[in-house]
Order: sequence, then structure tokens, then C-alpha cells
Amino acid sequence: MINMTLYLREMKKSIKLLLIFAVIMTMYIYIIIGMYDPEMMATLDKFYDVMPELMAAVGMKSGATSLIGFMVSYLYGFILLVFPMVYSILRGNGLIAKYTDSGAMAVLVATPVKRKTIVFTQLCVLLSGIILLLLYVTGLELVTANMKFAGELVTSDLIKLNVALLFLHLFIAGICFLSSCIFSETKYSIAFGAGIPALMYVLQMLSNVGDKAEAAKYFSAFTLYDANGIAAGENSAFLYSVILLVGAIIMYILGIEIFNRKDLRL
Amino acid sequence: MKVIEVNNLTRDYGGGKGIFDISLTVSKGEVFGFLGPNGAGKTTTIRHLMGFIKNQQGKCSINGLDCWKDSAKIQSMLGYIPGEINFFDDMTGVEFLQFIAKYRGLTDLTRQKELLDRFELDPKSRIKKMSKGMKQKIGIITAFMHNPDILILDEPTSGLDPLMQNRFIELIAEEKEKGKTILLSSHIFEEVERTCDRIGIIKEGRMVTVDKVETLRERHMHTYTVTLESPQEAEAFAKDFDGTADGNKVTVASKQSLENIFINYYGGSDDD
Repeated sequence: MINMTLYLREMKKSIKLLLIFAVIMTMYIYIIIGMYDPEMMATLDKFYDVMPELMAAVGMKSGATSLIGFMVSYLYGFILLVFPMVYSILRGNGLIAKYTDSGAMAVLVATPVKRKTIVFTQLCVLLSGIILLLLYVTGLELVTANMKFAGELVTSDLIKLNVALLFLHLFIAGICFLSSCIFSETKYSIAFGAGIPALMYVLQMLSNVGDKAEAAKYFSAFTLYDANGIAAGENSAFLYSVILLVGAIIMYILGIEIFNRKDLRL
Repeated sequence: MKVIEVNNLTRDYGGGKGIFDISLTVSKGEVFGFLGPNGAGKTTTIRHLMGFIKNQQGKCSINGLDCWKDSAKIQSMLGYIPGEINFFDDMTGVEFLQFIAKYRGLTDLTRQKELLDRFELDPKSRIKKMSKGMKQKIGIITAFMHNPDILILDEPTSGLDPLMQNRFIELIAEEKEKGKTILLSSHIFEEVERTCDRIGIIKEGRMVTVDKVETLRERHMHTYTVTLESPQEAEAFAKDFDGTADGNKVTVASKQSLENIFINYYGGSDDD
């Protein structure tokens, strides 16, 4: 079902990007966790009282007193949403639409390797990158938290939080993948593959501000990732995550079938 | 035995673009020349054969297998040079040739080396930095290295210098000797004339004519009889112009080149 030669070549390209992301995220996560200080929380809560809209827009809420609550507020509202999303956008386009557009896809298709195998291999590359990135993040969070605040972070809670985060990113990758399969030109693949997730993120920020803009949340997949709910063990939050996973799988199947049937003007 | 069969293939892109009712066959061991100017529909026909695009109407098959449904099976015995060569720009030539061999599951690289020598290619540099001719050579090697029975070559000599064009024509002749089936598209008349058994001329998406090279030539041959002053002069004239002398009279035939025949078909609609 997958072509190992192609998988390894593409992973080599992914790794370079992942390394850069890993370095930036390491600095960010290390510093943010280090900033956790129950006393400081009171100060931050004051910030929130002064400018609630701005703080809420970037996913920060008041009352984050536990370490995991703190992390949800300061890591899971921006950096852990945006960085894996950017990876999906870049690789999603680069794995399929870029080759179709440049004509290099002819090299891959004009061989005994089936189209389905090609596109499934590329999907595996995309997903491998996200899984690797989130595995790294989980490990890093655990190590940093235990180093600085031993015993404060419950491992199982963090894993739940990150599995749900993985489902969200599998969904976003699904959008990028599907767009890359449908369009034969990079400009359209990027317009939809990057445009839709970015728009959804902006809508999520808007809805966080609250009031009239709250309805925006119904148009954003990010709404289905309820980090606070997951951390609190709410059933509805788990259900939303499963919806994301199912949506992701549907988009993968659609993408594969569409690529398998499409005309390639190579 | 028919290897490549295209029957009434139609693909309408709208606005008069596309291919209409194309039929052609290529038998085992035959070299078929597919001739036509840019945009006539050669590449569209080839895309069907390669299983890149689906047939709207009509059928096309290779070795009895459907070109769309069984394309992966067909590809295992097929070599292809695309009309527009694009590889992975981030690789060097060496890396690319290694990649494509592994990707295809090819273990025996003797033929690849042989072809590298034949075309005097040193593929160490990055593909991005390579000239058109070098990329074309890599395309040729990629198409021939797995020793396929069928070859589909879309303007295979574009970018090659005359010396390399000759080497390529020699390669085609050798492959033909081995019984390979070859479909070669081109707009270079000489190349087709030197390598092909039969020729199909395509114009605005329609097949204008399919015939043997000699038949095409004969059909368009004109003979003239010239009367000269003396039998001696006639003799000399016949020698110079490849004619037959009979007393004072000499009969000469104009051997039209394929190019003229081709222009006949193309210029026809306006001048006739």
C-alpha cells in the first residue's frame, strides 16, 4: 500500500522542516512552562480583568491556577495550534499539488506504482510529520514540567489533551491533503489548503472575544477542540474530538479517491 | 500482433480543442511516427495511452489492457519520455536515477550505466542547474533503463545536439531490432523519416493520414520528362538528377521530402 522509496525521500524533506519547528517550539514551551507561578497567576488574572478581549483572542482565560490549566491557556491557544497547522499547509501542498503542477508527477505515475499507492504514501508522510511533532511536544512538556515542577502535571491528563490536539491537526491536515488532491495548480491548492485553516483560526480568535462575534465559532473546526473541556474530563469535549477524527478520515478517503480518478495533464 | 490500439478516441476540451475520433494501431516490432505541429493533439493522445487522463469516448488499449483501468500493469512493460521534462529539482542526477530505479523496484543497473556512457552524461550536478539537453538525456535513460517492451516517446530529441540526436536514432533502430514496439511523436521530419515504419499525421485534433513512409512518398511523387539537345547530355543529366535516360529524353522524379508532404497536408485548407 505504500512505496517505501518515495516515503523515505519525502520524509527526508519533512524532517528539515520539522527540525526548525521543533527548535522554535522547544524554546517557546520551555519558557512558558518556566513562567508558571501560582502567585504570578494572580497578576495575569489582573491583565485579563483590564483587557479581557485581547487576552481571550489569543486563547488566554482567567483562572488558570493549575499547571495544566496554565498550559492550556498559554500553549494550546496559539503555538500548538499554529505551528503544526503551518507544517500541514506547507507539506500538504508540497506532497501532491506541487508535483502535479510542475509535471514531476509524471515521474511517479509513469511507473508500475499505482496512483492509490502514490497518494497514500504522501498522506502517510504528511501524517507521520504531525505525529512526530506532537510526540516530541508531549515528551518535551513532560520533561520540562517534571524538571521544574515535579509532580504538578498529571501525565494522563496531558496525554488526553494531546491526543485531542492530534485529532484536530489530523483534521486540518485533511483539509490541506484534500485540497492538494483536488487542485492541479499550486495557487488553488494553497488558496484552499492554507486559506480555509487560516480563516478558521481567525474565526476562532474572533469568537473568543465573545459577544456578537461568538457565532463565528460555528464556522471553525478549532471550536471542536475544547482544551479546557478535555482537561476537565468533559464527555462532550471527547465527543467533539472524535468528530474531528471522523472528519479527517473522510477527507483522506475523498482525497485518495479524487486523485485516483482525476485527469492528470502531465 | 497489435500492441497499441486506439479506436475512435475523442476528448473534447471545448472550443475546438482536444482530439476527435483518433484511431491508430502499432504492431509488435513497429516504429510508429506521430507527426503534427504543436497543439495538434499528440500529447493528449499520449496522455490517454499513459493512463493520465480518462477516455471520454472510444477506446485505447496496450497489449489488450485498458489504458485507464490497467495503467499500473501496463506501466511495468512501458518506457516513457514526457514531452515536457520535469524531475525533482532538489535532487542531483545521480540521486534521481537511483531514486527512480528503487522506486520502480529495478535492481539491475547495467542498462542504466550503459545508457549513461552512450549519451556521455555525467549526472552529478543538480537537476535544477542542468541544461535542457542534459535533462532530456536523463529522461531517455529513465525511459529505457528497465528494458521495456513498449516505448512511448513524446518529442524525445528536443534539446539534444545533432550528435546526440544521431545516437538516439541509433538507439531506436537497435530497440526495433529487438522487437520493441515504439510510438514516437515529433515535429522533426527527418527524425521520423529515418526511424519510423509508418506515420500518422494529426491536424487540429484529427488524424489526417496514416500510412507507410514509402507510400506517403510515392503518393506525392511527381515525374517529369525532359528533352535535351543530345543523348550525351541526356545521359549526364540523368546521372546528375537521378533519372532514366531514353535517347534525348530523361525522366526524373521529384522525391518530396516528408516535410513537403507534411506542409501539403497542413497548408492545404488555405491554398486549395
